[in-house]
Amino acid sequence: MTDTSKTVLSIAGLRKSFGANEVLRGIDLAASDGDVISMIGASGSGKSTLLRCIPMLEIPDAGTVGVGEDRVSPRGGRLTRAEEATVRRMRCQLGFVFQNFNLWPHRTVLENVIEAPLFVQGRARSEAVDEAMALLDKVGLAAKRDAYPAHLSGGQQQRVAIARALAQHPRAILFDEPTSALDPELVGEVLKVIRSLAEEGRTMLIVTHEMGFAREVSSRVVFLHQGHIEEDGTPAEVFGAPKSERARAFLASHFDRNRQG
Amino acid sequence: MEDLALLGFGPDGWGKVLVQAGLMTLAVSVAAFVVGLALGTLIAWGRVSGGGMARALAHGYTAVMRGVPEILVIYLFYFGGRQVVTAVGTALGFPGPFDISGFMAGMLAIGLISGANQAEVLRGAWQAVPKGTIEAGRVVGMSRFTLFRRVIAPQALVTALPGLGNQWQSVIKESALVSVTGLVETMRQVSVAAGTTQEHFLFYAAGAAIYLAITTLSDQLFRLAERHSLRGHQQGGM
Amino acid sequence: MDLSFIGTMFLRILGGLPLTLNLWGLSLLGGAILALGLNLLRTTRVGDKVASAYVFVFRGTPLLIQIFMIYFGLAGFGFIRHSVLWPFLREPYWCGLLALVLNDAAYTSEILRGGLRAVPRGAVEAGRVSGMSRFTILRRITLPLAIRQALPAYSSEVISMLKATALVSTITLMDMTGIARAAISETWRAVEILLSAAAIYLALSLIVTQLSVWIERRLSPWQFQRTNR
Ligand SMILES: Nc1ncnc2c1ncn2[C@@H]1O[C@H](COP(=O)(O)OP(=O)(O)OP(=O)(O)O)[C@@H](O)[C@H]1O
Ligand SMILES: [Mg+2]
Repeated sequence: MTDTSKTVLSIAGLRKSFGANEVLRGIDLAASDGDVISMIGASGSGKSTLLRCIPMLEIPDAGTVGVGEDRVSPRGGRLTRAEEATVRRMRCQLGFVFQNFNLWPHRTVLENVIEAPLFVQGRARSEAVDEAMALLDKVGLAAKRDAYPAHLSGGQQQRVAIARALAQHPRAILFDEPTSALDPELVGEVLKVIRSLAEEGRTMLIVTHEMGFAREVSSRVVFLHQGHIEEDGTPAEVFGAPKSERARAFLASHFDRNRQG
Repeated sequence: MEDLALLGFGPDGWGKVLVQAGLMTLAVSVAAFVVGLALGTLIAWGRVSGGGMARALAHGYTAVMRGVPEILVIYLFYFGGRQVVTAVGTALGFPGPFDISGFMAGMLAIGLISGANQAEVLRGAWQAVPKGTIEAGRVVGMSRFTLFRRVIAPQALVTALPGLGNQWQSVIKESALVSVTGLVETMRQVSVAAGTTQEHFLFYAAGAAIYLAITTLSDQLFRLAERHSLRGHQQGGM
Repeated sequence: MDLSFIGTMFLRILGGLPLTLNLWGLSLLGGAILALGLNLLRTTRVGDKVASAYVFVFRGTPLLIQIFMIYFGLAGFGFIRHSVLWPFLREPYWCGLLALVLNDAAYTSEILRGGLRAVPRGAVEAGRVSGMSRFTILRRITLPLAIRQALPAYSSEVISMLKATALVSTITLMDMTGIARAAISETWRAVEILLSAAAIYLALSLIVTQLSVWIERRLSPWQFQRTNR
């Protein structure tokens, strides 16, 4: 929230409907360099949709998305030629981690990580491999470089996906519930990697249902409800003293459930 | 069994010409399959990611090619091709007579038929590529072409291999129909041999054996390719 | 293009429609019966080998060679010429029909086999635990699921057989293709004639396609209709 630091990611007036279902109803959100923003909210509140609108996996109906110096404001649910070029530049500056990993099954672990550096950014192979190995080492999977995704556990696959995102040299990394598809005993290893990224000062936007984790790593927490941002503050503010009734109810039910589980 | 000497490579034997005919069957089949693969890819592209017009065209083409007997398509290319070549040739002032080779007519006709069928195989495989892996390519900034080349095509090809194998088998069998143009491939050659020697059953059986050998061998090859393309990496999940 | 010529040819080719329909229908009928038999044969070890060999040979060779082998080849055997079947096997019609039946049976038996194999074990077990007899399970569970599963492939086979009937024209039969060929050699106006014939075949195949979609919907409403929940 420091005004002096540079804005990396900006969203303004974002709207998105699926048919008659108005999912995002005017979202404004900006992330500065080094922000770790957790996004929480009930199922169906539009968190994934918002996240997917940033690299234009979903094209918003109205509003502006900016990454670094690039920004687009698509109209009519499609991109023009010029906008497409801008979007590709924006994507090259982002990392995106999916709930279901979405590793390329026909490529080995190492190949997954060097794919975009080689075939999108046109970097030299040896350089890309060296860097990829350093990243795999960081997520603890250097030994698996030649394995295929189907031979890895979910937690390992997600860590490869994080390495793949890091290979983008991203200015910001977006996570869509990175641990929701994992068995409980594998959640920890992935959270540990994300925590270390937070400590490095990476800019991240994380959709999560792990409230304890959100409270611990975030510099900011955003609560989404029916397509609106209802709360936006430090973890202490949002978790400790939520202003809206809905956030209070959501948090209460969530911590209850966690305790029971 | 002096009959069997007819199949041998001796002076009275038909062995050598039968082998040549078998090779001609292979040649016309391979040519037709390649034509079909190129066309099939184009049609599949049209059906998956083309606009309404391209989609309707691709759909109509497939329906026509699946509904019309192969032999009519071959006649159409053979007789019709001659008609067209003659018309064009005469108009340009070339002296006749004009003709289109049986190989050309057969290759084009079977290729066009196979293209429709291969398109169906490729389309199915394309649509079976997990959507998430495509999104993963888009978020790293891949262009449409890179996405197709690096993410969609390699995955779809693995899924498509068995279906393409079946289409190849069909092409081999359909190539027998090219005999109606007089092209000396297996079917034509065994008919000639059977007529000359009056040993009908023997030569048709020999012809059947040649086709069985080709279909069986290529089936093995496709299986090998399939195993290679899987390289163990999909045994687990997916 | 000469419309009146095309019209004349169209009508002339339609004269072959009864023979085409006759061969098509009977070969599908005979093929289906034989295919069921082949699948029953597969329940024994030896029978399984026999059925596999049959399918291997008939699917691995062109139909054209099968037709010629029966029409020209069988006559070479004395015992066939002296058998009670000879009055039939000397006729191109019966030879053509026999080849079509044998060929269709090989493909149809594989389609049926695929359908039977796709029946989930659980569905059969659920029938068993609810006290159904083996026959009831076959009638109420296995066959309906197998047929539903096999239907799309079978509708392709039905269309393939329509196209296959065109090959009997090579042994002098005057089906639609036979008539078209004769007309070409008289007039040398191949394109018009072939397109007329192709249009008729195409119309028949489109009818089959529509019919199969309709039947599919009728047979498996759970895949097409929203249940009211
Ligand atoms: N592609 C789509 N087509 C139609 N509706 C969609 C689509 N994607 C999402 N929706 C709808 O948009 C709404 C918000 O979905 P979204 O996935 O963004 O929720 P979410 O907050 O991520 O929920 P969860 O916590 O369950 O992941 C839901 O009602 C969903 O049904
Ligand atoms: Mg979600």
